Amino acid sequence: MNGPADTGSSSLRRTLLVWLLLPLVGLVPLTALLVYGLALRPALDALDHALTDTAVALAQIVEVDRNDRRRVTLPLSEQTARALRADLIDETVFAVGDPQGHLLGGNSPLLALAPAVPAGQWRFFDASLQGRPLHAAAHGHPCGDAGQVCTIVVAETLGKQDAAKRAALLGALVGAAAIALPLVGLAMLAVGRTLRPLQRAAADVESLTPQRLEAVDARGVPREIAGFVHALNGLLARLKLAASAQRAFVSDAAHQLRTPLAVMRVEAAEALAAPHSPEVRTSLERLHAAAERSSHLAQQLLTLARAEGMALDPMLTRQPLDLESLATGVANRWLQPSLDAGQDLGFDLEPAPVAGYSTLLEELLGNLIHNAIEHAGAGARVTVQTRSIAGRALLSVEDDGPGVAADEIEQLWQRFRRGHAARGSGSGLGLAIVADIARLHGASATLAPGESGRGLRVLVSFPLDDSRVA
Amino acid sequence: MHILLVEDDEPLALSLAAAMRSRGWRTDVSSRGEPVPASLLRDDYDALVLDIGLPGIDGLETLRRIRAQGSFLPVLMLTARDGVDDRVAGLEDGADDYLVKPFALSELLARIRALVRRHEFRRGESIALAALRFDAGARRAYVGERPINLSARECIVLQYLLLKTGQIVPRDQFAALIPGWDAATSDNALELLMSRLRAKIEPGGVRLRTVRGLGYLLEPAAAA
Repeated sequence: MNGPADTGSSSLRRTLLVWLLLPLVGLVPLTALLVYGLALRPALDALDHALTDTAVALAQIVEVDRNDRRRVTLPLSEQTARALRADLIDETVFAVGDPQGHLLGGNSPLLALAPAVPAGQWRFFDASLQGRPLHAAAHGHPCGDAGQVCTIVVAETLGKQDAAKRAALLGALVGAAAIALPLVGLAMLAVGRTLRPLQRAAADVESLTPQRLEAVDARGVPREIAGFVHALNGLLARLKLAASAQRAFVSDAAHQLRTPLAVMRVEAAEALAAPHSPEVRTSLERLHAAAERSSHLAQQLLTLARAEGMALDPMLTRQPLDLESLATGVANRWLQPSLDAGQDLGFDLEPAPVAGYSTLLEELLGNLIHNAIEHAGAGARVTVQTRSIAGRALLSVEDDGPGVAADEIEQLWQRFRRGHAARGSGSGLGLAIVADIARLHGASATLAPGESGRGLRVLVSFPLDDSRVA
Repeated sequence: MHILLVEDDEPLALSLAAAMRSRGWRTDVSSRGEPVPASLLRDDYDALVLDIGLPGIDGLETLRRIRAQGSFLPVLMLTARDGVDDRVAGLEDGADDYLVKPFALSELLARIRALVRRHEFRRGESIALAALRFDAGARRAYVGERPINLSARECIVLQYLLLKTGQIVPRDQFAALIPGWDAATSDNALELLMSRLRAKIEPGGVRLRTVRGLGYLLEPAAAA
């Protein structure tokens, strides 16, 4: 996962894994050691046992002289000695010493290595004979007079012992791996699964926009994270409320403005109808123009607030409409303002069915015509066109006015932004409203020079509504 | 002309009443909807201008009561809300037209005139626009006192245009109106008819506009 969480700050995944796996790092070697020891002990005991067997056999051969109980002998034939030494793997050596420490039979240097062992006892020790490591058992064998002890030593090379150690080590390692690997895998799986709801919630939050503040789905989210998600949803709900309160405020404010604006328009128009001195007349004309502009602006603000409100309201459904009849309806409202501006407003209409909100689409078209009135200038020819072509319903308004510089076209979509050469009194909201309403209808709006290369052509391309059976 | 204006915003009521009176219209003003039904029974009004947002019973309820007592008086609704609901509710309850505040005064006056004209026309009286007058009963037109010669088709078209004064009448509506014409009848034939009619009636202070690509519009030559 790449993200801001990786840069220096703590990672929940890493912390969880460390705390889960840290004990494993300590405990698994310890367990392996224990298994090794437990497995090795009986094997070594068995080997020791074999040594003691040989020693006991030798003890049976030691003879005490009947006449002189201080004399001890080892009547060991060569065959018996070979039999005692016989071993498939290791080389066995032995030595028997009398109570005085003299060699009775076997290997003399081995006897010298043996510790003194009290009667009836055993000593096991490791030694080295002629550079070869050996494991040995020494036995104190009572012989002759009371208190006399013969020493019997049996030793063998470490072949079997080494084999036993290897087997035990292998067992311990396999055992450790058998525990550790599934544990590590399970820990990573568990951490991954535990964190997944968090990642899903994060992705949900990531997909939110100011226009779409949906609550994050808390189902299937663990209790600990659900608390967080609920808190987040609470915040989202408050944000949504604040956003809708703001829209409601804009809408209310625009509504409240309408009646006083109506008074201003009526009074200014009436005052202009009476004769006045040129100075007063100029003032009145400016007042009248300002009242008209304020009225238009209030209307535009209201439209924006409504478009945003509609985008958020899932209960609203679009109605089947036809851009052709919509344009015919809008024509009545805008013909007079267009004539007043000295323009020739014309229509070139063909059926173009769309699914939408009629009030908003009327506003969209009205704003496009108003835009032409503001920018195309007197004498301009303005044409509203509707078409349905290749699965799209097209609405365009084209003028043959001065147009807009190519590098300014994109900026015109932003609120309160107007072209450099803009004349008239536009607020700069018109095209932003067009863009908002188009977006709400899944339509795209583009600005381009007119077809003759002059003027401006705004084209709004809607998905064709083919839901109606012809 | 006698108008009843029902508007609770005093400055707007005063402004509108003054503007109407200066045009010689007798104008009564009420700030509430409750007394309106009784006023209509007492006085003979030509039109009612009714604000929707009134204290007490609102404009829509007032309208329902008026219609319930059998009045066919032309009603123009005023509203500060232009949501789809207001419009549909108002028109379905029997309003003849509506205007959204803030409207232009000329627009309001033109709409009232059009309403009254249509109403009179329905009662079989003559309709007038500037110096042009059309006698619906006799199917004759006059500029001032001078009668003008109209063909039967021109007569039908003029009557319809007068009824829709100030509104664009789409071309296909004329095709449906004129006996023997249909959608196949060329736009040129209609344009020819209109230019003849235009020559005959425009001396009466009216203008017959061609709205490019859409239809025709009859209006007074100079905006009031």
